[in-house]
Amino acid sequence: MILIKKHIPLFICFLVGVLTLGSYYVPNVHSENYLELMNKWENIVAGFAFLLGLMSLFTSHFHKISRKAPGWGYSLFVYVGFLLVVVPAVVSGGKPMIGPDMTSLGWIYRFVFTSLSGTMFAVLAFYIVSTAYRAFRIKSPQAFVLFAAAFIVILGRVPLGQMMWDGLLSWTGYQVTDVIEWLMSVPVVAGRRGIMIGIAIGGIVTALKIIFGIERQYMGKD
Amino acid sequence: MEFLANLWNSFAGLFTVTPGWMTFGGWVAAGLTICLFSFLYKDNPFFKVAEHLYLGVGMGWLFQVYLFQTWKPKVYAPLMEGQFSVLIPTLLGLSLVTQFFPRISWISRYGFTFIMGYGSGLVIPMEISTNFLRQIGGSISPFIGATGPWDLFNGALVAFGFICVLFYFFFSVEHKGAVKKASNIGIYFLMLYFGAAFGNTVMGRFSLLYGRFDDLYKYSDASYFYATHVVLGLLVAYFVLDKLVLSKKNGGQEPAH
Repeated sequence: MILIKKHIPLFICFLVGVLTLGSYYVPNVHSENYLELMNKWENIVAGFAFLLGLMSLFTSHFHKISRKAPGWGYSLFVYVGFLLVVVPAVVSGGKPMIGPDMTSLGWIYRFVFTSLSGTMFAVLAFYIVSTAYRAFRIKSPQAFVLFAAAFIVILGRVPLGQMMWDGLLSWTGYQVTDVIEWLMSVPVVAGRRGIMIGIAIGGIVTALKIIFGIERQYMGKD
Repeated sequence: MEFLANLWNSFAGLFTVTPGWMTFGGWVAAGLTICLFSFLYKDNPFFKVAEHLYLGVGMGWLFQVYLFQTWKPKVYAPLMEGQFSVLIPTLLGLSLVTQFFPRISWISRYGFTFIMGYGSGLVIPMEISTNFLRQIGGSISPFIGATGPWDLFNGALVAFGFICVLFYFFFSVEHKGAVKKASNIGIYFLMLYFGAAFGNTVMGRFSLLYGRFDDLYKYSDASYFYATHVVLGLLVAYFVLDKLVLSKKNGGQEPAH
């Protein structure tokens, strides 16, 4: 049983991983076909992975409703929201627009989905400002550098900041946009590159550990 | 069969977007936007309704994307054409759903190992080319194609900062002497990056905020029957009423959350 439960899945991981890695470095018709097929297969499997998440969400809210847990009434709106999109999508065949005409799915996207997602992330702007207050308390030279970089990027991109720069520092002969451009393309790049190399090394090592079955926590317990 | 087709057509006809629906859409958008913004004052039932609705709508949107862009064209259509090879990824995908049944949840490992194997095999060349070699190449190339001393200075600054940051992340030797100095300078470059990234995030969020305010302004127009004003007024009335009822119930004290 251990063969079916453990060894074959690990072998699938190893085989698919090595073949995908090899196909990238051995360019020929077969490897290209293989990558294309695997990409298609991965899309299908990822689609079912989404279904797993959806079922998990629905089960969790169903339990909340059936147990009449505090705030269970709100859980009903998860199902309402879901049907609000899926029914028009089925009716309109998944098309938000048919020619110049907006379908019911397009209506839902424009007036419901965009409003909800846009506002949800816009609300974060207020919390970011309160976080900034705590983060920007200058306690060390490093904290000052962090503050200065953020201050220049934020103020330099609004008319007020540009007016302030023009009033105080126009004698330097540079615009605040020039300073931001230099900041973003020189010192910021140096910091970002170090982190990206760290991510690359971490990603490669983790991927190798997964392919060779050293890292197998994602498989769960026996 | 004809009856069913007629029934479907009548049902689909209900979903035709008319100018009236567009005006109603303004009310819906203004209502949902203000309900979500109401959280800035305090947690309330309207925010919670909009929040749960967002969760459902978001999942519904993804569901229809997968339905019309993956399951229908990549699973259903090939199966109808007799291409049974798509059954392999379909079964691997369906195996994931066995997670809900503890006795047979091990079957889901087949789907997970496929995803992890493919993802790992793909990530290695991608990381090597994008995040590793290209970054090193990007630090060297300014010295080759420099057009003047300013370009050379910028290139040297990037390379110097980059090496210092790498020293900061290098834990194989003890950070003392020259290594400590280099890693300390690396912290300054990291702080510059974090500060600029933070500034960009703030500006991104604020541009979304402007967008929402712009929409609220649009829906406050007479053509939308002052949707923003009415919804805002109703919500303010709710909060005032809630405050009054609360103060009567608790003798002016709000309950501790």
